[in-house]
Amino acid sequence: MDCILTIDISTSSVKVCAYDFSGKLVAFRKASLSIFYPHPDHSEQDPEHVYVTVLFLLRDFINEQILPSKYKIETIVFSASMHSVLPVNNKGIPVGNAIIWADNRAKKEADIIKKSDYANQIYQNTGTPFHAMSPLAKIKWIKNNQPERFKRVSKFISLKEYVIYQFTNQYVVDYSMASATGFFNIKEKKWEDMSLDISGIDSSYFSDAVSVFNSDLKFKPNIAKALNLPKNTKVLVGSTDGCLATLGSGVFKEGQATISITYSGAVRVAGDEFIKDKNQRFFNYILDNDIYISGGPTNNAGVVLEWFSSHFRNHKIKHDFEDVVEELFKEATLVKSGSDGLLFLPYLLGERAPIWNSNARGSYFGINIKHESKHFLRATIEGVIFEIYSIGKILENYRKIDQLHLTGKYASLPICASIISDVFGKKVILSDEVENVNKGAALLGMIEAGIFKNIEEAATSIKEKSVYEPNLANNDIYKKLFNIFERLTLKMGEEFELIEQLQH
Amino acid sequence: MNQFSYLKGKSQEIAPWPHIVEFSKVKIQTLKANSFLLEENTEFKFIYVTEGKYYWTIENQTYTVFPNDVVMVWPNQTFGSLNGSYEVGSFTILTLDIPNCRDIELNLGDWSNISATEQKLMGGIICQKMQSLIPNFKKFGEILQKIEHEIIASEIGYNAKVNNLIDDIWIQTTRQLSNNENSGRIFPQTFHKLDLLLRENIAHSWTVEEMAAIIGLGTTTFTEKFKSFSGFAPLNYLINLRISEAIKLLKNTDQSLTDIALGTGFYSSQHFSTTFKKLTGFTPGLIRKNK
Repeated sequence: MDCILTIDISTSSVKVCAYDFSGKLVAFRKASLSIFYPHPDHSEQDPEHVYVTVLFLLRDFINEQILPSKYKIETIVFSASMHSVLPVNNKGIPVGNAIIWADNRAKKEADIIKKSDYANQIYQNTGTPFHAMSPLAKIKWIKNNQPERFKRVSKFISLKEYVIYQFTNQYVVDYSMASATGFFNIKEKKWEDMSLDISGIDSSYFSDAVSVFNSDLKFKPNIAKALNLPKNTKVLVGSTDGCLATLGSGVFKEGQATISITYSGAVRVAGDEFIKDKNQRFFNYILDNDIYISGGPTNNAGVVLEWFSSHFRNHKIKHDFEDVVEELFKEATLVKSGSDGLLFLPYLLGERAPIWNSNARGSYFGINIKHESKHFLRATIEGVIFEIYSIGKILENYRKIDQLHLTGKYASLPICASIISDVFGKKVILSDEVENVNKGAALLGMIEAGIFKNIEEAATSIKEKSVYEPNLANNDIYKKLFNIFERLTLKMGEEFELIEQLQH
Repeated sequence: MNQFSYLKGKSQEIAPWPHIVEFSKVKIQTLKANSFLLEENTEFKFIYVTEGKYYWTIENQTYTVFPNDVVMVWPNQTFGSLNGSYEVGSFTILTLDIPNCRDIELNLGDWSNISATEQKLMGGIICQKMQSLIPNFKKFGEILQKIEHEIIASEIGYNAKVNNLIDDIWIQTTRQLSNNENSGRIFPQTFHKLDLLLRENIAHSWTVEEMAAIIGLGTTTFTEKFKSFSGFAPLNYLINLRISEAIKLLKNTDQSLTDIALGTGFYSSQHFSTTFKKLTGFTPGLIRKNK
């Protein structure tokens, strides 16, 4: 039987999955990736190690799980996280490490662009907010701060493009990854002149932008042989984790939104046009003709839960964060919704959407003598979800949202799903897919193979596993707390700046 | 409890070990003014407290030191008591003539039986943080007693035995620091630390036992955790790191294949080329040619 092999290169791991052509997951394997923090604001990955990890993981997966089974690989589809910048020279050799999305070194560059006269026009054309995560700001940073390195660069690519280049010897980037760079005109689907002009580079610095369904790529014969890949395996460029998580959770039309809580978090909607927010708070990525994925990312999602569990709870070393957080979530059910009036602002890592303030910091508010450690636990979870809600609430100015679809290891836990439902006051739907991003990639493969007519039809194939209806009494409590949450965030703008200065 | 004070150059008792500068058991019965002012420390010191409670200041930070706690003071660190005297109680001092932690490396000297690579690894744990206080470290006191016993008894082989015990002090100290550091930590955090150590010492002939000891887990649990987190068995993960490092060197330097092979932990250029070709589909020579 034929199968589709999907490869998702996310920040902390590579996941490979095999799906049969009915869309059923038949095999899975993952490997970890390392992130380096050479300076407080820097987050980097080693491109050669990322490539070797993907290569070796694939080899083990194919040899140990696919070859002994009845499946034959028909198609390979790629996915990866967005916003990484890897400079390479004219031989395709990396010039230093890749700078990943979490890297904040280009804060100043992003601010300068944001305050410039052309900022609004660039946002209107590219749909990408101005922030240190944006490759537009990162490339500017390299140019300003490492002129020698900049001179040696002939292309700026993402880690996904590097892995594909190693496999196929071709530089291609899909429209959705391109639309996360700040350099891509999402209306005309070509590299944006204004962005290129202010960066002093031309479009030759980027890969050829192609549709997510593009299947012109071919693996180098030596690699195909080393991997035991069948001849004529089709290779789809694929898309990004953000777009595919949305598709893989069944969201494709007005009325639906997807909430993702992994290490970071996001609220995303799909639509046939992009959101031109006058405050430039939302990103917009193009998945396919007339399908835009828009939304806002938060820094402070799973990482905050992991922070709480590692510093305020004792655990055995053998645990993974996921197990630990799952246990914690059970303890949180011992406290009433609203944590008896204890409120948490989760801005441990500064914040992206909706306040876009790198200096924001966290706090617990309203502590009284009766609050116990378990109240702090529940307040922490609720604070993370309030932040997610603050993004969703503004998105509702642009899109109607009736139901929420959850993805990511933390969002899908029952207590989290029910708090999300109560905070938003909306129906929450959990799908039976575990790996939404890989599933989204598999759906692209199935569309390309003609099994589904289009993205819409593919998205409707995602099945519901469980539904959470909001509890209106809880929603009432959360509305009152959220009001305080918003007011505190607004009021503390100056204090965030002051306290941040004491943290160097 | 018997007090004693052996000083290098003065006490015949410690003459066989020129690297021991002082080995003394001190009992303080009355407060003496200006007996312990803040000063720059000259030689590396271990101090193990057996009675009383001390407030010692090292590099501007004051620690409360209780019985069974160990304090480490490095050369050039300021050390003393803010009130200028020792509180009532007792402690044992072992001062050693070893160079300061430099470039996160420990360098014990010729007398030690710990191999240079292992000293380097231990340095990675001890020197990284330059931690001054190790609380509740009874085992340390037991080794000190053995050293005392060996010196007094002077039986045959005592010369080597004392050196072994000092080696043991360093080994136990490293383990204690690594266990303190790792307890309550979740696997991914300790994994990250090990990952960096492997990358920095890629040519070292690592064993799984060594890696497990650094994380502070038994070999079986370690291997299982390692595999489920990283996706690869420990030694396979190490090969991944070696191959990626080798690719970088092939692409970015003119080093010979033999140098790259040995520098990244392969036995020979032959071993390197075969492994490389099998895993990546290309010979190292081809990667070099496309540079």
